[in-house]
Amino acid sequence: MTEDNSIEKGRTGGWADRKSFRRGFLALLVIAALAAAAAGFVPAFQNKNPHFAVERYGVFFAIYGFVAFAFIVLAGQHLRKLVGRKEDYYDERE
Amino acid sequence: MTSANDLFSALAMNPAVILFVGATLGALIPNGYAALRRPLMLVFTAAAGLKLSTLGLGEYGRLAFFGEPALMLRIDRMARLFAVVFLIAAALNIVYGWRLRDRLQDFATLAYPAAALGGVLAGDLVTLFVWWEIAAIASVFLVFGPGARATVLAGMRYLTIQVLSGVLLLAGLVLVFRETGSIAFGEIGLRDGAGAVKLSGLFVLLAFGIKAAFPLLHNWVQDAYPKANFAGTIVLSVFTTKLAVASLARAFPGTPELIGIGVVMTLFPIFFALIENDLKKVLCYSINNQVGFMVIGIGYGTAASINGAVGYAFSNIIFESLLFMAVGAAVYRTGTSKATELGGLYRTMPLTMAFCLVGALSISAFPGFAGFATKGLLIGAAGEAHDLFIWLAMLFASAGVLEHAGIKIPYFTFFAHDSGKRPKEAPPEMLLAMGASAALSIAIGVYPEPLYALTPYPEALADYDPYAPYHVVEQLQLLLWAVLAFAALILVKWYPAEVASTNLDTDWLYRVPGRGILGWAAAATRAVWGLAWRLFSGRFLAAMERVYAVHGPEGALARSWPTGYMALATALVLGVALILAFVA
Repeated sequence: MTEDNSIEKGRTGGWADRKSFRRGFLALLVIAALAAAAAGFVPAFQNKNPHFAVERYGVFFAIYGFVAFAFIVLAGQHLRKLVGRKEDYYDERE
Repeated sequence: MTSANDLFSALAMNPAVILFVGATLGALIPNGYAALRRPLMLVFTAAAGLKLSTLGLGEYGRLAFFGEPALMLRIDRMARLFAVVFLIAAALNIVYGWRLRDRLQDFATLAYPAAALGGVLAGDLVTLFVWWEIAAIASVFLVFGPGARATVLAGMRYLTIQVLSGVLLLAGLVLVFRETGSIAFGEIGLRDGAGAVKLSGLFVLLAFGIKAAFPLLHNWVQDAYPKANFAGTIVLSVFTTKLAVASLARAFPGTPELIGIGVVMTLFPIFFALIENDLKKVLCYSINNQVGFMVIGIGYGTAASINGAVGYAFSNIIFESLLFMAVGAAVYRTGTSKATELGGLYRTMPLTMAFCLVGALSISAFPGFAGFATKGLLIGAAGEAHDLFIWLAMLFASAGVLEHAGIKIPYFTFFAHDSGKRPKEAPPEMLLAMGASAALSIAIGVYPEPLYALTPYPEALADYDPYAPYHVVEQLQLLLWAVLAFAALILVKWYPAEVASTNLDTDWLYRVPGRGILGWAAAATRAVWGLAWRLFSGRFLAAMERVYAVHGPEGALARSWPTGYMALATALVLGVALILAFVA
């Protein structure tokens, strides 16, 4: 299964590790996110028949997406304290 | 009365039977010619597709089981949608594992989809039950595949749970027959006219719920699927849960309990996936989460939400398989699916990385990709019903999908820290299967109309435009700002590092305390038996000696054997009658 695997010890930076790529990607992401948020205030991009009042706030989905993601990561990692065990936990018991 | 001819022609026209015959013939090919198996399997998959297409919509194979009308083959719009995507997935799986040479796994790779196909095409509950059990038995060979002790134990646990689902279905179908006088597989519902829970509905719902991996019944997925080999996991990921979705959509549309169940299904896996180190297990949690969205759609039960649920199932099979295939390719080349041992593979596996990104964008429902085409119908159903908290929960879960399937899978496999591994690109057949899945994911996203036309109620989608400007902007806001949160957490180093660990889930209950109780019960039984034997063995042996003396070859009652036998039998019958009379 791993017959084709070759492990190279020397680590070389690929295109995704270059600072220029990372900065460029981040800049593009920020611009796209800001553009999407700004579009939420343009009437042509607004839902004419929203089901809920919150949908009327131009940046509701942006804020909700940001907060939800941050909450999942920051709060979720504590679950590890409750359910995390050694990697061979079941090997010792079965 | 069904004649052998009727039965044969009903079986011969069934695409599921065609697939099953292909699987069996493939398994009969001697190992020296094992290279012929997969081409043969592909031919039979094409033949099943051709048969499905030439038959068209309709009901075929009407038979009688013990005087009850049975319908072995019902191709309605719902069944056809699942049949089409099951056949596509079966073909892609065959191609992906092209270089596998394993008789049992090759058999399971086609027999298991055959059983799932038979299940979605079943028009009566008995036929459904038969295919339901074949699916359980055929699929376990994929779990057993690698052959290690851990996989055999996981396979046995998996089989036990799947058979339990079958037993519940059997009980449910008997109760349905008692209530309705029919074994037809249609809407069953959980409650009767007075609003009370029906036992029949409850049993069938539990049977379907086990296979759909409802919360607390879900952990067989994470326990068994990752144990299969690089190709087996992908085959497993497609069929069982989607057969359950198809069955739920047929039997329980508009069951409000499913909305709550679905919401929990979409939410809890997000947190388990976040802390999980094994990327195959992350994708298994993703299956739970994705099926949750479908279950919510079925729970609302409107034409649009049912379309959304089954349409989303169709797309999900393509892009979830694609993610499994990409991780499977990494496993094939590096021998591990652990996030702590992967990373930086984009350098030498750029095509696999690109295909994985398409899968990630699709499952996250970015505009232009498959998930976006139907997910709006599901979240929209909560909007239509003005269920604010359900709607918010689904949006929250969408951010969670982005986290574990959209970002974590490609990030930790191909980017993140450099593992130093420089494996070759995936083999051509894997690239072909991934490329086809990626192309389909984009095609469904860009041009969803053919998928809408396949749905059970296409008229409900006549005015639906997923690319309405507001919908695109809302979705982009949600997703792009969630990605921004990820970037911010990485920059400030608050994104948790992966940790090599085992995370307890509901399987712990039967793997540790359950196993302990079973061990204790076995020891207690042995002890009681030993004690009883010590106490009574002397008296028992003396009694047997007495019986032997009277009835044995030298005994008085053996001089004429019929008399001796009759005397013994009469004594036994009288003894039993005496006990019964005493008890009664």
